[in-house]
Amino acid sequence: MRRLIISLLFTFALLSPIAALAITPKPMTTKIQSTLLPNRSPLVTFRIIFMTGAASDPAGKEGVAALTSAMLSQGGTKTMTYEQIVEAMYPIATSFDSQIDKEMTVFTGTTHSDNLDKYYGLVNQMLLDPGFRTDDFTRLKTDAINFLKVSLRQSNDEELGKEVLYNVIYNGHAYGHHNIGTISSLEKLTLDDVRNFYKANYTQTNMVLGLAGGYPKELPDKVKADFAKLPAGQPAKGKYETPKLAPGMQVSIVKRETRATALSLGFPINVTRADKDWPALAVVASWFGQHRSSNSYLYQQLREARGLNYGDYAYIEYFPRGMFQFTPDPNQGRTSQIFQIWIRPVVPENGHFTLRAALYEYDKLVRDGMSKEAFEATREFLTKYNNILTQTQDAQLGYALDSLYYNIPDYVPYMRTQLAKLTLDDVNNAIRKHLKSDAMRIAIITKDAEGLRNAILNNKPSPITYNSPKPKAITDEDKVIENYKLTVKPDAVVIVPVEKLFE
Amino acid sequence: MKILVLMSLVVCLPMLVLAQSNSSKSRKLFPYDYTIDDLPNGLRLVTVPTDYPNLVALYIVVQAGSRNEVEAGKTGFAHFFEHIMFRGSENYTADQREAIFKRAGAETNANTSDDRTVYHATFSKDDLDEIMKMEADRFQRLKYALPEFQTESLAVKGEYDKNSANPFRQLFERLRETAFKKHTYSHTTMGFIKDIEAMPTQYEYSLEFFRRFYRPEYTTVVLVGDVTRAHALDLTRKYLGEWKRGNYVANIPAEPAQTGPLTSHIDWPSPTLPIVAIAFRGPAYSDVAKDKMALDLLAQVAFGQNSELYQKLVLKEQKVDTLGTSFSDQVDPELFTVIARIKDPKDVDYVRQQILATYKRYTTELIPQAKLDATRSRLRYGFAMTMDSSAAIATTLAQFIALRRTPETIDKLASVMDAITAEDVRAMAKKYFRDESRTIVTLATKASEATDATEEGKQ
Repeated sequence: MRRLIISLLFTFALLSPIAALAITPKPMTTKIQSTLLPNRSPLVTFRIIFMTGAASDPAGKEGVAALTSAMLSQGGTKTMTYEQIVEAMYPIATSFDSQIDKEMTVFTGTTHSDNLDKYYGLVNQMLLDPGFRTDDFTRLKTDAINFLKVSLRQSNDEELGKEVLYNVIYNGHAYGHHNIGTISSLEKLTLDDVRNFYKANYTQTNMVLGLAGGYPKELPDKVKADFAKLPAGQPAKGKYETPKLAPGMQVSIVKRETRATALSLGFPINVTRADKDWPALAVVASWFGQHRSSNSYLYQQLREARGLNYGDYAYIEYFPRGMFQFTPDPNQGRTSQIFQIWIRPVVPENGHFTLRAALYEYDKLVRDGMSKEAFEATREFLTKYNNILTQTQDAQLGYALDSLYYNIPDYVPYMRTQLAKLTLDDVNNAIRKHLKSDAMRIAIITKDAEGLRNAILNNKPSPITYNSPKPKAITDEDKVIENYKLTVKPDAVVIVPVEKLFE
Repeated sequence: MKILVLMSLVVCLPMLVLAQSNSSKSRKLFPYDYTIDDLPNGLRLVTVPTDYPNLVALYIVVQAGSRNEVEAGKTGFAHFFEHIMFRGSENYTADQREAIFKRAGAETNANTSDDRTVYHATFSKDDLDEIMKMEADRFQRLKYALPEFQTESLAVKGEYDKNSANPFRQLFERLRETAFKKHTYSHTTMGFIKDIEAMPTQYEYSLEFFRRFYRPEYTTVVLVGDVTRAHALDLTRKYLGEWKRGNYVANIPAEPAQTGPLTSHIDWPSPTLPIVAIAFRGPAYSDVAKDKMALDLLAQVAFGQNSELYQKLVLKEQKVDTLGTSFSDQVDPELFTVIARIKDPKDVDYVRQQILATYKRYTTELIPQAKLDATRSRLRYGFAMTMDSSAAIATTLAQFIALRRTPETIDKLASVMDAITAEDVRAMAKKYFRDESRTIVTLATKASEATDATEEGKQ
């Protein structure tokens, strides 16, 4: 339950349940797709996806997709209040949670097979017969606003930096607002907005049923028959363009009263899991910055060698809440992704140096590519590590659903095959083709925003001192880094008061 | 990253499994077969073969954490030391370690809490021999130079800094400092910032720390997954059989009885919603006495998501957006803490009164039998559902190994739970929820900084 606070602060979690498993073996005409992973486990895992999300928020209604999912997962049904749902789920120790992203909304939960009928009955009601009550709406809308105003703006500089980076890169795009919405839009949303969103987006066409575990073989058809109650619907928009950013480095410095300085850097890439170059980029991202692993190159350079901070990583897919978890949550499929470097907070005096060091390492990556040894070691790592990523049935189901979304074969064998075929040339070509950008975007959270802006614009030297002697290779490199020239125009470094974010 | 300090933020959803029905009650709470092997040097091996194929989870549990930090100025040292354990040993440099783990495709890390430090890795069974050999080397022959030691201290400072943005972290730090005067639970695992800043000067002490606690009698090797007892024992004897037993025992000061209620307040420098934590001095973990388990059950009934208080404050009145408890299973007596984040500062007093009244209520009122049974069922199922991979089983097990060095304690705990009556719960509430053993800590935006966060929707 340490997770309680985390989930309240960073996701919108929930609970719920009721219906009976009457078997209905009638033939079906449903548009609902499914991914099924039956096994002999005593647990049954549901992942029910709707192909809709924050990118489908109508203009001026930012946040309605998230609020709708919260109303379903943390609100009452037509016949049960939310309190009654919590009460029903209590003795079976389960919940029904929602996760919102740009193009996918997923509802997840696991139950012991002892309690499957009861659990499915609840889940069924929650998704098909929502109560849309005013008191739930008021509570969840306030939670959403406080999430943006307090939890994100004021309690977690790392997540804040990452989300600001996404907002900057996708400015003016359907991905351009936080998944939870904007404060001004949330304040104006009504229950009718939620009802309308539900009606338009929670359709058979948009739904994908994911089931794993020891469920009875009739269950998938039963669920599909029940959910045929949803409107047929039209296919979701499906494809969002990757933004073309104006050339030149741009820096957003968020001014906030905080001890440390958090940095995130990145730019859009034209590669998703659906593309043939993805396995090559996955190798690059793993070598350069495997999430929260000490074998990351950036980690070795910035943390292990220099002690600048707690860790330094790189990504080619959206990975929210990374400070709380070691593996990504599945079902956040996107048609547009970014390459991202995450520098965990540094002491403010080292902010400018660390920014330069990150850019220096990025430039080096693009210039030199990967070595043969690094390539081979990382390929071996990923080939085995993918088994660890998918060690629970919930993760297996999540990855299988994402493979359906990206139209690739089953993830682990697919990656094993692709990695085996990969050459060093493939990887270095992919770096040149996809990771070379002249449109780097940078988000920094710090207290002395003006001082940092001034230092960046004037390319002031940023010498670094350590509490212990360093090898000559490091001190030589530091001399380069401390004067590493960043070409950035004065109007490309903006200071944003934290209170203005997500408005 | 190695080094997730496990903070006891909110509720330790205790630990029990499987249902209330007669059929399920007979199931064991820890349903896996396991073996225990004790080496002559005091090292213990617990092996849990599972049906999950190919992978093994190697968890090495050291029964030393921030609780063992008895000397002044050394808070946070157990956690810092955990970082140091990644800096190389006699036969493996840090880089060689990384290369071996990388080749194995391992997920590896470590974490420290009050009572324990856990080093863990999950990887293919084919790599077990090599990894056991390497891990055994650092536990017996850790080797690091002063500059690496000093550099690592900066990473720990970075960890403190990144945590510092979170008001809940600061609240827990203050709560412990206020409630405990003698016992080492008075500091968090992360430690006080002044001690963290002094870490670079503690090289000699770090050698001493290793000599004291990184000993076989403090350590249990837990192997879960696609592994046999014979193989596990063979490797453990081969690589750890020569490890020398130590003789140090930390003299951890007992906390004297509290003699009156305590309060403290934190002025937060940036906008936040106010938070209140109300704690009472509670019992230590036990798989025999009813005290801790009775209060674990009460934590759910009185303050859990379907408690009357939660439904009132969070769902009906909507004055609170976070309500939970923190009450970990600890070696020594722990705080029973209720924590709430309040939407409007003017409601802080009201919410505090409501929480206090709820504590008081259960000192006189019996919880309904149906609720008690439902809570037992919840804890049993909840426990069962945490164990969905070999690594997850090992993670759960490590917490209990740190307390009693055997999985058996889990089933003993389940027996204690099954025996608890509503009268027991009331008696424990009465015993522990006394005004003189209470600590309240509040946190709110400093008056001059109070701007938008609390002015909901007014602009």
